[in-house]
Amino acid sequence: MAHAGLSTGFRDGDPDAVRAVYREYGRLVFAVAYRVLGDRGLAEEATQQTFVKAWRAAASFDAERELGPWLVAIARRVAIDVSRRETVRAADSLDSVAPGHPALSSSPEALEAVYDVWEVRRAVAELPPEEQDVVRLQHFKGYTHVEIAERLELPVGTIKSRSFRAHKRLAALLGHLREE
Amino acid sequence: MSASDEDRIAYLAGEQVESLTPDERSELDELRALLEAEAMWAEPPDELEDRVVAAIADAAGTSPALEQVKRPRPRQFATPVQPADVRRAAREEQASQPPQAPPARQPPPPQPSRQLKKPRRERSWVITILERPAYAFGLLAVLVAVVAGTTLISTSGGGSPSPPPLQFAMVVNGTSLAPGAHGSATLTKMSSGWQVELSATGLPHLTNGRYYQAWLKNSAGVLVPIGTFNDAVKVTLWSGVPVTQFRTLTVTRQEANGNPASSGQRVLTGTIKSSG
Repeated sequence: MAHAGLSTGFRDGDPDAVRAVYREYGRLVFAVAYRVLGDRGLAEEATQQTFVKAWRAAASFDAERELGPWLVAIARRVAIDVSRRETVRAADSLDSVAPGHPALSSSPEALEAVYDVWEVRRAVAELPPEEQDVVRLQHFKGYTHVEIAERLELPVGTIKSRSFRAHKRLAALLGHLREE
Repeated sequence: MSASDEDRIAYLAGEQVESLTPDERSELDELRALLEAEAMWAEPPDELEDRVVAAIADAAGTSPALEQVKRPRPRQFATPVQPADVRRAAREEQASQPPQAPPARQPPPPQPSRQLKKPRRERSWVITILERPAYAFGLLAVLVAVVAGTTLISTSGGGSPSPPPLQFAMVVNGTSLAPGAHGSATLTKMSSGWQVELSATGLPHLTNGRYYQAWLKNSAGVLVPIGTFNDAVKVTLWSGVPVTQFRTLTVTRQEANGNPASSGQRVLTGTIKSSG
């Protein structure tokens, strides 16, 4: 969480503070923009615009609050604006529109849905790197434990225990375990 | 940790667990779907940090005094915003507001002067010809000749059979995600596009928001979607791009999550060979 001094520095446009805020939240903002837009280049543009807009509006931000939820809301709005702009531009034949182009996507993600992306990505970032690797290979790449073991040159048992630990941590971080 | 928690973790980790209720399963499925999403793992380029800092420096440098004036007065919030506040705000937004009209657009940036000028209207060649009787008669003669020639060609062919449609075939094989899958595809040129008839076994039937999507890919790696389906036992797809250029067929596992891009989870792939 960004502390009050960081928010104040960001509001004042201090480059060090801007960098610090970007390093803390840049990946998450990018993830939200990518989720809405489905396009890497447009997500980069939206990320940049999000930070500029946040900076412009920073005087209205209470430095005691957490920056994250505020940035999520800005990132989503910016990404939707970019998406609308691209939809207007895409007057070409559908054949010439690349898959994943925002003009082909449906209605924009709800704020709650993009906040889920933010929360899960932040939870994954809190896992140790070796557990992140297992979760990524398992879910994103669709590999089995055996395939992950072959790829990482580790025993299958090690992968299984890493996977269990990682998912237990994720479930706890995201409130998917029962409250005792 | 209760036994139920262990089951939840096992299910989240991809194991088959029968003891969970449909609600528990649905909740964990949502999380699994998020973990499979590309947005969850995509990394911004390193240079984006510099671009963000430079963009803010630019904005600050243009007119710092003006920026100070333009900034609204700080609002005071009684309590810090929490994730629950975001969710509540989202619900209120959905409940109380009609879909928003597109926001007012920023005025477009100044364009180079040559783009601001309207192009000089060209004099129509049709008008030029029709104004001159000699040209008009010449044009009419050419049209008559073309129509007559076309009719002659079409009638002289008479009862001869039309040539067979251009057709290609390919073998498709499962990737490491579906090692037991295999099949074939026939790609036939039709008047409305390329018909792709895919037949493959070894792929499980997908439902509940999960499906397969077929793509054609060219040598530059450009992907064109050609259809979605639940299983590939016998499926007819259509392509609007020529398979002579988009020679590789791939099938991916997809999730109906609002992201139409390829998931990257290829389960089948093949490249065309001419069937003569």
